[in-house]
Amino acid sequence: MADTSLELTELNTKQYIVVQIGSEKYGIDIGYIDNIVRMQKITRVPKAQSYFNGVINLRGEVVAVMSIRKKMGLEEDVFTDKSRIIILKLEDRGLIGIIVDAVNEVITLSDDQIEAPAAGPKKGKDSFINGIGKKGDTLVSLFEINAIVDEKEEK
Amino acid sequence: MDVSQYLEIFIDESAEHLQTLSDCIMSLEGEPDNKDTINEVFRAAHSLKGMAGTMGFKRMQHLTHDMENVFQEVRSDKIAVDSAMIDLLFKCLDALDEYLENVKASSDEGTEDNELIIKELNDFIAKANGEAPADAPTEAPDAKEASAEATAEEGGSEKKYLSIELDGAEKDAIEEAKKSGNKVYGLTVFIQPECLLKAARAFLVFRAVEEFGEIIVYRPSSQDIEDEKFELDFSFYISSSEDLDKIIEAAKGVSEIADVIGGEITEEQLAEKVEAPAAEAPVSAPAPASAPKETKPAPAAKKEEKKVPAKKDAKPVTNRTVRVDIEKLDALMNQVSELIIAKNSLVSISSQDSGTAGNQGFHEQIEYLERITTNLHESVMKVRMVPIESVVNKFPRMIRDLSRTLDKKMELTMTGEDTELDRTVVDQIGDPLQHLLRNSADHGLETAEVRKQRGKSETGHIFLNAYQEGNNVIIQVGDDGNGIDTEAVKAKAIERGIITEEQAESMTQKEIVNLLFMPSFSMAKKITDISGRGVGLDVVKSGIEALGGDVETRTKLGEGTTFTVRLPLTLAIIQALMVEIRDEKYAIALGSISNIENIPVTDIKYVQAQEVIHLRGSVIPLIRLDKVLDIEPKEDPENLTVVIVKRGDSQAGLVVDNLIGQQEIVIKSLGKYINGNKLISGATILGDGEIAMILDTNTLI
Repeated sequence: MADTSLELTELNTKQYIVVQIGSEKYGIDIGYIDNIVRMQKITRVPKAQSYFNGVINLRGEVVAVMSIRKKMGLEEDVFTDKSRIIILKLEDRGLIGIIVDAVNEVITLSDDQIEAPAAGPKKGKDSFINGIGKKGDTLVSLFEINAIVDEKEEK
Repeated sequence: MDVSQYLEIFIDESAEHLQTLSDCIMSLEGEPDNKDTINEVFRAAHSLKGMAGTMGFKRMQHLTHDMENVFQEVRSDKIAVDSAMIDLLFKCLDALDEYLENVKASSDEGTEDNELIIKELNDFIAKANGEAPADAPTEAPDAKEASAEATAEEGGSEKKYLSIELDGAEKDAIEEAKKSGNKVYGLTVFIQPECLLKAARAFLVFRAVEEFGEIIVYRPSSQDIEDEKFELDFSFYISSSEDLDKIIEAAKGVSEIADVIGGEITEEQLAEKVEAPAAEAPVSAPAPASAPKETKPAPAAKKEEKKVPAKKDAKPVTNRTVRVDIEKLDALMNQVSELIIAKNSLVSISSQDSGTAGNQGFHEQIEYLERITTNLHESVMKVRMVPIESVVNKFPRMIRDLSRTLDKKMELTMTGEDTELDRTVVDQIGDPLQHLLRNSADHGLETAEVRKQRGKSETGHIFLNAYQEGNNVIIQVGDDGNGIDTEAVKAKAIERGIITEEQAESMTQKEIVNLLFMPSFSMAKKITDISGRGVGLDVVKSGIEALGGDVETRTKLGEGTTFTVRLPLTLAIIQALMVEIRDEKYAIALGSISNIENIPVTDIKYVQAQEVIHLRGSVIPLIRLDKVLDIEPKEDPENLTVVIVKRGDSQAGLVVDNLIGQQEIVIKSLGKYINGNKLISGATILGDGEIAMILDTNTLI
């Protein structure tokens, strides 16, 4: 066990949580993740940016929750009992929750397993990706967390 | 001595002393002869010097020392206070302020010597001494700083050994020595001011002279000398059969000794001491002031030498207060907030329980808990309250300076400086208020000529009134100047393309005045140092809104302008009315609610296509909260529940579905992600863990 962990650090690897959004798999750098909570009541905030579902009460803290689907221009969320809110913690801005359809697994990717995203003029959801991880046969799009939480011009 | 732990105290207290100085100098300008004020100034300067010395801030010490000298001369009526001097003193204060800022930023005073100011100060003293070359500082041509101090403060008290008071045992020792045929000499040794190990030098001196005889009397006591509890000199009596000169030579042979003087203690002098130990004055004739100083080495020591440890206890803090780090208070406040949330959930559980007999006690305890938490909250809040004094008392000085730079005569009157506000608010209210005052001074007040033409007094009046009103603190800042020329504002706004001419036509007086609060809207014809960089009023507004307050402007052309700043007493916990609209819950601060009405739908009238109600003589616009908050509309019931909210003199009626009740709520921020939302000022967590939005009704009116 000790040997493997040593090896891992040498290879410059990162752990990602793989989440399901629609039919695609996305990876979130585990370093950003504060918590993963089940779906709960989200209180609407009037006049907020359209991609914010509202706020939740996370152990006495009010945390904004964002629909990643809306942000990426996908169809509306459908909440199931697999839906989760991933609470991200950003150094300077505090907590924010993003809604995902399901949480699948945790994977470890080393640098040579990550490819740069396909370059192209494509806007939309691709601009939230900073790399593609390959683990066996599965491809995982890795989220650029800052791009997700950054203000996006609406319209 | 490690003084870093005292740094904060030093900063706090220095700031206080500087403020006192500033206040006193201001009032000295008005009544230059007030002895009490002069003494107060002297004391403050003196303490400041002592503290700077202890902390090893030499430049600061030097400057305050010279300031103190000037006051000394003022106190002894050698110089009169004039405006040149006041200007100079203010310069000193600014320089000291800078030192203090440096200390705050880097724990070091910086390298600015402020020689120019010190020279000017010394010129004042020189002038005074030229006119009245009386007793004090004439000797010591090699006037190093410290020896100059010694002479200035102690006069010609060189032969200190003459003024030694003897106790019984010492007298006996002297008499015995005399009987045995020895002579008794008194010596005073002066150590060079830059000497670092004074105690060691003293020890060497003693060792040198003890070859000639026995030391009978030490002043200060040998213990104090060992502990370096003395200034630059010490005295002793020695019984010896040798010549005095030899002893003096031996003592002078020790390095870093500036001078040694001595003389034989004659029978008469001794007799005098025995007969009249209290009547020291005739003995130490050249400096009557030195007598009390001699007998009390500690307070004298406090004055100059930074290495003297006795100084540490020089200023006993006797008031019954504790300085607490604001962060600790914040933490306490947070805990109380958590407690209130927990209490609220207990309350909601207990109210769900339909009160069976067994629950009686439970309910009572809940009520008891509720009372305690409310009191606790109030207490914590009170602890955090500080008078706005600390912010506003720098304003008189600022107005005085402005009066000079703008060349307008003006006067500031302040009331309610003792009004208290949450510390966080007080810390941040300074800048907005300063902007408003500058605005009044620069744009508000007319020049003296114009004022005369208009039949006003030449001196413009600026006022700052603070008072508490319910859960708010009101601070009014205004002037009796020109008022806002709304036509000019309109023209300017059109010129800048902020509004169109058509828009301008239909704008009310109030709306036009509000244009002034737009970013980058400056009315100044030219950019001045004081205001008019276009960063004025919008900064004021955003600053105050960030604190949960608002600004109102009242102006009358030719008569003046008044800005009314309304601030919440506290930021964290408020009493609120919970309302329901469809299935969403909202909180409205109780402070902004004037009353609640049940209005039949048929009473709604229309004015300019707007729904209004006519209530007890006033016409109040109706605001459909469901519409404003993007909630699905529904059919009106027969009667509408209307919450009437007020903001200053304006009112509005908010239509809600249901009233839930009054509740103490803890304000939580929505975080940094959700924005562009002025309508919602925050959120709160209810007893059942649900979240309710807090409505900022000010934005609705």
